[in-house]
Amino acid sequence: MQSTATMSGQSLEDLLQESSSPVEMLRNSQIGPYAFPVVPPEFTNWRDEQRAWQESAVLFDQSHHMTDMYIEGPDALKLLSELGVNSVRNFSVDKAKQFVACNHDGYVIGDAILFHLAEHTFNLVGRPSAHNWVQYQCETGGYDVSIERDERSAARSGPPLRKAYRYQVQGPHAQELMRKLTGAPVPDIRFFNMDVFSIAGRTVRALRHGMVGQPGWELFGPWEDGAPVRDAIAAAGEEFGLRLVGAKAYSTSALESGWIPSPVPSVYSGDALSAYRRWLPAHGYEGTASLGGSFESDDINDYYLTPYDLGYGPMVSFDHDFIGREALEAIADDPPRRKVSLAWNGEDAMRAFGTLFGDSDCAKFIDLPLANYATLPYDTVLRDGAAVGLSTYTGYTHNGRTMLSLGIVDVRYSAPGTEVTVVWGEAGGGSSKPTVERHAQTEIRAIVCPVPYSRVAREEYAEGWRTRQH
Amino acid sequence: MSERSLEELLQTTNPVDLLRDSQIGAYVYPVVPSEYTNWRDEQRAWRDSCVLFDQSHHMVDIYIEGPDALKLVSDTAINTFSNFAVNRAKQYVPCSHDGYVIGDGILFHLEQNRLVFVGRAPCANWIEFHGQTGGYDVAITKDDRSPGNPKGKAVNRISYRFQIQGPNAWQLIEKLNGGPVDKLRMFHMAAMTIAGRQVRTLRHGMAGAPGLEIWGPYEEREEIRETIAEAGREFGLAQVGARAYATNTLESGWIPSPLPAVYTGERMKPYREWLSESSYEASGSLGGSFYSDNIEDYYVTPYEIGYGSFVNFDHDFIGREALQAMAAQPHRRKVTYAWNADDVGAIFRSMLNPGEPHYKYIDLPLSNYASASFDRIVKDGKIVGASMFAGYSYNERAMLSLGIADPDVAIGDEVTLVWGEEGGGSTKTTVERHEQLEVRAVVSPTPYSQVVRETYAEGWRSRAAR
Repeated sequence: MQSTATMSGQSLEDLLQESSSPVEMLRNSQIGPYAFPVVPPEFTNWRDEQRAWQESAVLFDQSHHMTDMYIEGPDALKLLSELGVNSVRNFSVDKAKQFVACNHDGYVIGDAILFHLAEHTFNLVGRPSAHNWVQYQCETGGYDVSIERDERSAARSGPPLRKAYRYQVQGPHAQELMRKLTGAPVPDIRFFNMDVFSIAGRTVRALRHGMVGQPGWELFGPWEDGAPVRDAIAAAGEEFGLRLVGAKAYSTSALESGWIPSPVPSVYSGDALSAYRRWLPAHGYEGTASLGGSFESDDINDYYLTPYDLGYGPMVSFDHDFIGREALEAIADDPPRRKVSLAWNGEDAMRAFGTLFGDSDCAKFIDLPLANYATLPYDTVLRDGAAVGLSTYTGYTHNGRTMLSLGIVDVRYSAPGTEVTVVWGEAGGGSSKPTVERHAQTEIRAIVCPVPYSRVAREEYAEGWRTRQH
Repeated sequence: MSERSLEELLQTTNPVDLLRDSQIGAYVYPVVPSEYTNWRDEQRAWRDSCVLFDQSHHMVDIYIEGPDALKLVSDTAINTFSNFAVNRAKQYVPCSHDGYVIGDGILFHLEQNRLVFVGRAPCANWIEFHGQTGGYDVAITKDDRSPGNPKGKAVNRISYRFQIQGPNAWQLIEKLNGGPVDKLRMFHMAAMTIAGRQVRTLRHGMAGAPGLEIWGPYEEREEIRETIAEAGREFGLAQVGARAYATNTLESGWIPSPLPAVYTGERMKPYREWLSESSYEASGSLGGSFYSDNIEDYYVTPYEIGYGSFVNFDHDFIGREALQAMAAQPHRRKVTYAWNADDVGAIFRSMLNPGEPHYKYIDLPLSNYASASFDRIVKDGKIVGASMFAGYSYNERAMLSLGIADPDVAIGDEVTLVWGEEGGGSTKTTVERHEQLEVRAVVSPTPYSQVVRETYAEGWRSRAAR
């Protein structure tokens, strides 16, 4: 197993011993933001690429930025059931799940998409924090399971050859496009169920997905089929206004769909996980990830999030025993925080841009369309000057014509329309992360909106301040 | 199926329409990571400490070897070659028969009868054409720029090419060499040692501070890079990514993207027949608010983009007669346009107001959305110039663009730059639907400097800062 500490020498635990605190270590990581590698930044331009998933059709290329891990053997489902908050009761072949793993205290270690590919065979796809945990448990827990990892392209040396390509076809014309591509009616199956298509003479597995309230598909197959399948989609998509989506726009799709890709893995503290930290390598995701933003606490535990915080409450099922169950049972009835979208005040965002042209200190640069400058972005959300939550993933949507972030706020302030303030930028001029130029913090008003963010929400709730601002 | 030629394409299309609706996408600075740290600090480093530019990928190298090598370049350049010994370099500027610029780039005299030109494709193509068709006793080797989208495939060049620049550059250079390095005159070449390897050097500089361009076999690039990066740490060296790299010229004042003057003229026809439809000339894009259906309105002379002092009639060259005829006349001249911050703000503000007009997105820090940009500069309702290369300087805290202005436009004048394309925009892939906006700008010298900023631009800058 290539990513374990035993192979590489230093472990995450060793690294933490050398650091004054996990927070200090992560806040001053030199790695930069999470990479969306290989895929060009833009195929056309990110404004039109964003618009296409709302108005016509898009092809996302997800072949490079996520780790795949194939989990195979008679105990595979048992392993996943004992680690995941999810029920596996009806988890038959050709279904998928948003798998969420927690630590013993009920805080999220990671989440990823889990595909049930065949009897006793699964694939886990996502940022590698969930993968590492599953692999560790598998290796140390005496399961009759074998594991094969296929690292994301940013974590590989040499050419980015993966085992599988992974695309998504999304947008209002996705169904028509699939019909044309497969030459057959598109099967009417439920969200997160799988089927098999034939595209360009290749067998393609397809996961029913969706975006902006419209059905869409995730497509995958052997790496060598990737280019012909992509070319066929691109050619067939022309009449539907299909756009290939580059890395810049792709990374912002989560803003509109409302998925938070970047919780701090809850593994840096607690005796229960010290063996895991000794197993994890120093150079892995957990050891190298960068933590950034205005939210600052000396205690790494303050950065941990529960499944309820991240909007995974409906997936938590107490029909099975799993790590973290008791802790989650204690908060299940009344989770204290809720996931929301935060629509930033236009004038305040403009003021931050405007500092680029002034003589005073600049605000932290807002890169467009994705404004994150750390693997794990954590900004403070204030209400009447008091901290009431976090803002975790920030960018711009040309569809909504607004800066948007995904937030986790106290239930009291989670009602759509609530006015809050996001503190943008880091304290004291900024940390030593390479992505951070010296800057001054600034406060940006924001309106709480539902997840996923929608035009309707903006018009209903945000009308007030948007019209007032002129 | 053989490719069509540029000339064949032009049988059915106006060159302006061909280029304005090119589907090639942005002019990419390939392979180099977009940012090593962040583009603000990378820009700051060339002014405050030192930088490593990686120029290994975005330019074409064309080697010219043989007894007629010098004759070929002399016959095609406005420059004199009377003083062009081995170990000298020159900014090579070829013109069309009518005296308009085809392109420019650096020509290195590597050894007796062996030259290499390094730059954008138009000059390289022009050299290759004459090498193949002009009856010269030369061998031409073309090492094309790296692909814009390598799709994960390995990239290979003949040479790596780096620059070490900035106020601390020379200290770093001497540390790398393990001893003093002669500060030769600008554009003189020598050699030094890095990581125990001999590397060739070209004396260069930025903002008055001496620097070097260095090159060697491509296989050695990572070793050389790591050695420089390591040694540079104590001098505040920043490796510069692709985003910041191209903007250094906004401060130094070189215009990288004149439109090659090859689309018209009977005497240029054999060249157009030689150029393929996939060439830079046929596939590149033209963008901006300046629109004329006559492609010649986009051509520039050497005098207009700052190369008047290179024009030397001591030799015969293509375009000589035309340039002799224009030499004594008044010329448009190269200037920097400093954009009004409030007006730039209006463009960003349009992104944050649903239901209001959207202005053409200003990508930061490099804002060009075509291979060759031409925005209209207007004064008193009359077109008085063009803006040709735009972006943001964190050092100057300003949007700047390089361009040309009519002779009667004075430094310090306020003009209007029209940002965006007419009619909602062309079909270029980089162009979303948008409306045009007039942006006030102050005409400033090139290179743009602090002195200028304080003397001429005080008024609106301090007003905008508020």
